[in-house]
Amino acid sequence: MGNIFPRWTNLLAVKILICLGALGTCVIALAWYSWTPKYTRVGYMPQQPIPFDHSLHAGQLGMDCRYCHTFVENSPHSNVPSAQVCWNCHGPGKVKSDSPKLEPLRQALDENYEKYTGDPIRWVQLHKTPDYAYFDHSVHVNRGVSCVKCHGKVNEMPVVYHHESLSMSWCLDCHRNPEQALRPMDQITNLDWEPEDLEPDEFYAYLAGKTGKSADDLKKSDEGKEWNQELIGAHLQQAWNVHPPQDCAACHR
Amino acid sequence: MRWFFLILAIAVVATVYALGPRGEKFSETPFELFPDMDRQYKQKYQKPSQFFEDGKGARKPVAGTVPIGFKFPHAGNEGDLSSDLDYSAGDDYLNTGLFGDFYGQGFPETLEIDEDFLARGKERYQITCTPCHGDSGNGQGIVAKYWAIPPSANLIDERVSAMPEGQIFWTITHGKGLMGPYNGVVSVRDRWAIVAYVQALQAGSK
Repeated sequence: MGNIFPRWTNLLAVKILICLGALGTCVIALAWYSWTPKYTRVGYMPQQPIPFDHSLHAGQLGMDCRYCHTFVENSPHSNVPSAQVCWNCHGPGKVKSDSPKLEPLRQALDENYEKYTGDPIRWVQLHKTPDYAYFDHSVHVNRGVSCVKCHGKVNEMPVVYHHESLSMSWCLDCHRNPEQALRPMDQITNLDWEPEDLEPDEFYAYLAGKTGKSADDLKKSDEGKEWNQELIGAHLQQAWNVHPPQDCAACHR
Repeated sequence: MRWFFLILAIAVVATVYALGPRGEKFSETPFELFPDMDRQYKQKYQKPSQFFEDGKGARKPVAGTVPIGFKFPHAGNEGDLSSDLDYSAGDDYLNTGLFGDFYGQGFPETLEIDEDFLARGKERYQITCTPCHGDSGNGQGIVAKYWAIPPSANLIDERVSAMPEGQIFWTITHGKGLMGPYNGVVSVRDRWAIVAYVQALQAGSK
């Protein structure tokens, strides 16, 4: 009886295993790299019905975020302004009111406009947490977390894009180490704020008023430490008694 | 096997080229593999509704019903705010700045005018009023710097300084001339706080 299997089949099983292994590794590497909000969401830059330029309004003109996003301090949802808020500056006879870019605004509000429809402007929402995650804007901005922490430097974006991943591990990074995010309450909407902008003496006086300790003692205990976000954040965390929840029910009801 | 690895290499290069690195800008709706529970069929903030005929997601209370916690402006609580987030309701002085057909003088009795109230007014003024009226109230805000439109009112000149409190409140609420109404975005309490701060600016300019 001759050989049923020719000689080249001796290593076939091993070769198939090697090939499958290589293929599997590539698939896993692909999933690891791209099946995450870091890939699927970061950089999302949709076109809006009106090409609203944040770098002009919030950057060059220095308007406060809350001029338009009026209810961010009171509501879980940071609102998109109603057309009336745009109209305050871009209504008839005011700034750039004839610009063709503002067509959807005039269709929504200008009753004398020939193409008036009354339909609201359909802005495209970029930042979406899953519907089972209940993020609350107001608790964050009222406890020293700046807009810039989650949205990036919007005041330098001509077209706003998704800057952070907003994944769950990303949330937890900050909930476990809140000192890397906390800043004085009057600088929440100042997206260019740096720890160096804070006057140490004023800061210690503020802390002393909050905690009842003496400003000199606080200052002495920090001697030799670097003046940075972590130092300021740790002080504020203590003064405000900030304990970000890490249990499931914090965000998932 | 050589062929396999050659094809795999080509496939890897093609995929990496097609997908691009993390953080690249794109404008298509982001890809979601399992959107089931991520996108639930429920009413969300500022979203339209397919359920109601008019397509509006934000609903008014059904006629004849009162939401829990809501105070009627006419039911014996004139001059009172149910929260700091009342936007306008009654026809009393607190909500209108008017006594009958006349602008009222002085602040409503229910408001306590203290340092915190002024600080609140300053903050709200700098958010809402500064773009046109300027930080100091002189009408030379950023708008006046860039665009040749009719100038904003100078809040610290004699004309506005002579205005009764109720008139400033009424103007913030309803707007005047080119200025739009701000009753939808600045709460009643904050409007009075802004009035107080504007008067502080006037006092400071003398």
